[in-house]
Amino acid sequence: MIGTALCELETPRLVIDLDALEHNIGVVAAHYRGKRIRLRPHGKNHKSPQILAMQLAAGGTVGGVCAAKVSEAEVFASAGAGNVLLANQVVDEDKIKRLAAIAKRVDTIVAVDHPQQVERLAAGAEALGAVLGVVVEVDTMMRRGGVRRLEDAVSLAQRVAEAPGLRLRGVTSHQVPTARPPSRAQRFAEGGACIERVLAAKAAIEDAGLAVEIVSTGETWTYDVAAAYPEVTEIEGGSYVVMEVPYAYMSEFRFAARVMGRIVERLDDRRALGDVPVDAIGAPNGPPTVDGEPDVAAERIDHHGVLLASRDGPLRLGVGDCFFLLTHQQDITMNRWENYLGVRDGVVETIIDAPARGCVH
Amino acid sequence: MQRPIERPIGSPVECLDTPALLVDVARLDAAAAALAAGCRVEAWVHNTPAIAWRQLRASRAVGIAVRGVAEAEVFAAAGCQDIRILRPLVTAASRQRAEALARSVRVVAADDGAPLDGADSLAAAVSVSARVTSAPEPGRAITDCGQKAIGQDFGPPRVLGRSDCRASAGSAEHGVLDWQADGSGARPFALGEWLRLAPADVATAFALHDFAYGIENGRLAAVWPVSGRGAFQ
Repeated sequence: MIGTALCELETPRLVIDLDALEHNIGVVAAHYRGKRIRLRPHGKNHKSPQILAMQLAAGGTVGGVCAAKVSEAEVFASAGAGNVLLANQVVDEDKIKRLAAIAKRVDTIVAVDHPQQVERLAAGAEALGAVLGVVVEVDTMMRRGGVRRLEDAVSLAQRVAEAPGLRLRGVTSHQVPTARPPSRAQRFAEGGACIERVLAAKAAIEDAGLAVEIVSTGETWTYDVAAAYPEVTEIEGGSYVVMEVPYAYMSEFRFAARVMGRIVERLDDRRALGDVPVDAIGAPNGPPTVDGEPDVAAERIDHHGVLLASRDGPLRLGVGDCFFLLTHQQDITMNRWENYLGVRDGVVETIIDAPARGCVH
Repeated sequence: MQRPIERPIGSPVECLDTPALLVDVARLDAAAAALAAGCRVEAWVHNTPAIAWRQLRASRAVGIAVRGVAEAEVFAAAGCQDIRILRPLVTAASRQRAEALARSVRVVAADDGAPLDGADSLAAAVSVSARVTSAPEPGRAITDCGQKAIGQDFGPPRVLGRSDCRASAGSAEHGVLDWQADGSGARPFALGEWLRLAPADVATAFALHDFAYGIENGRLAAVWPVSGRGAFQ
């Protein structure tokens, strides 16, 4: 397959534009060069130690990875990530033991937002003779995980500091913009307000006499906002790597991931059926966007394929022709594929394995 | 790639690492027995050879239907003898693969009159388990079953056995449960609580998991690889 022209491949395939991938990784690395803030590459976005290695080699990182699940953390820790931050809560005994087992090999940090998690983590870490780092997750706007009140952040931090087997490391938060797309001013105002909230939690914990070494916040849309705050130590970033349509306003990044499909049937003058089923790309926010064909829309996508339609006049794509779809939620798309084809100048240059695909445990 | 859950057969379903794709074996067999005589079972829905065999054995189906040649190869390797490929084969390479397959099994590349069945009847048998990982405010709980474990392409899941709460779309890694916290009778979810969710679309749920777990009387009865998962070509 290496050296094969893209249009000769069987479809559908997930293809990665290597120039765009390297460009995107380079943009964030250059932005953080010489600054105190570091990138913590999020593994959930690409599921691939190969892409993580590119991010780490570009510089400006914590030398480790962010993970959303214990099984994902296991893949990246086994593949040489120097440290792991699990930006999620873990409550069951088996997963806590697995996390503690990772902590015996590499520096491992997990997020908490409830005293019971602290108790369970401490019991698991102690049983295995491991030390687990802990960050207190602070809700800044999403109403997902994370403590709601600053006094809860402080009391939770105190519990962690007193618990055997645990070491308080700092605070973490995650946020998404409410305006889509936000202007640059909206990004800095809204992202800044979220970051100030997590910094307020840091200050309150420090006022209680505890050290806060890490302020970890996310994600791509605030990578430059966060860099304006000297107290933020790291940004959990991942969407920028291959990009997605709703992030187009971050115009310094290029679309690197596409699902390549082929027309299998012409329905009429302006409509045709492509061979990309919804399970090959995922469409939680509606059908994907057809790349490079502004006059063609993906009108519908289901398990049997995608319906492409010309907005105006006859459709130029015939049976056997290839087309490319851009995702509206890249981590959902990447998680549908075991490997991606790395392409340069229309030719397959490398196969990128994604062993953390499906690691939802 | 998911690792299979290493629990002995007979383990209570609540002991399986969450989120797990669960198939109620009794309901699966009942749905299989109700398949139309002479139909083709839509095996692409689950992409799981062990489930296809149960459907074929319990019914008078003539064979299976899959979407592309790669799925056909998976089911042929598992011993299915009569396979219809629904998608037109438009490249020389895909036609060659289908021809190669046709040397060992019957491959049907056009409508042969056998009705397709089995896409909808599976729904009652399938669920995904989840655990509450965060209980951050009254009236809301967060689970470990997000869009990557149950799918959101056809809508949010439904909480099984709990009509007093609502599962929202959640996000990629998190599920979100909401209920009325005004004392009107909804029971709050506790941290660590185990629950089951019904996916809005069964095929999406299978497309996300490498293993399905057959459950009988609340206990693990079988581990089934979803071998056709990701065989998109």
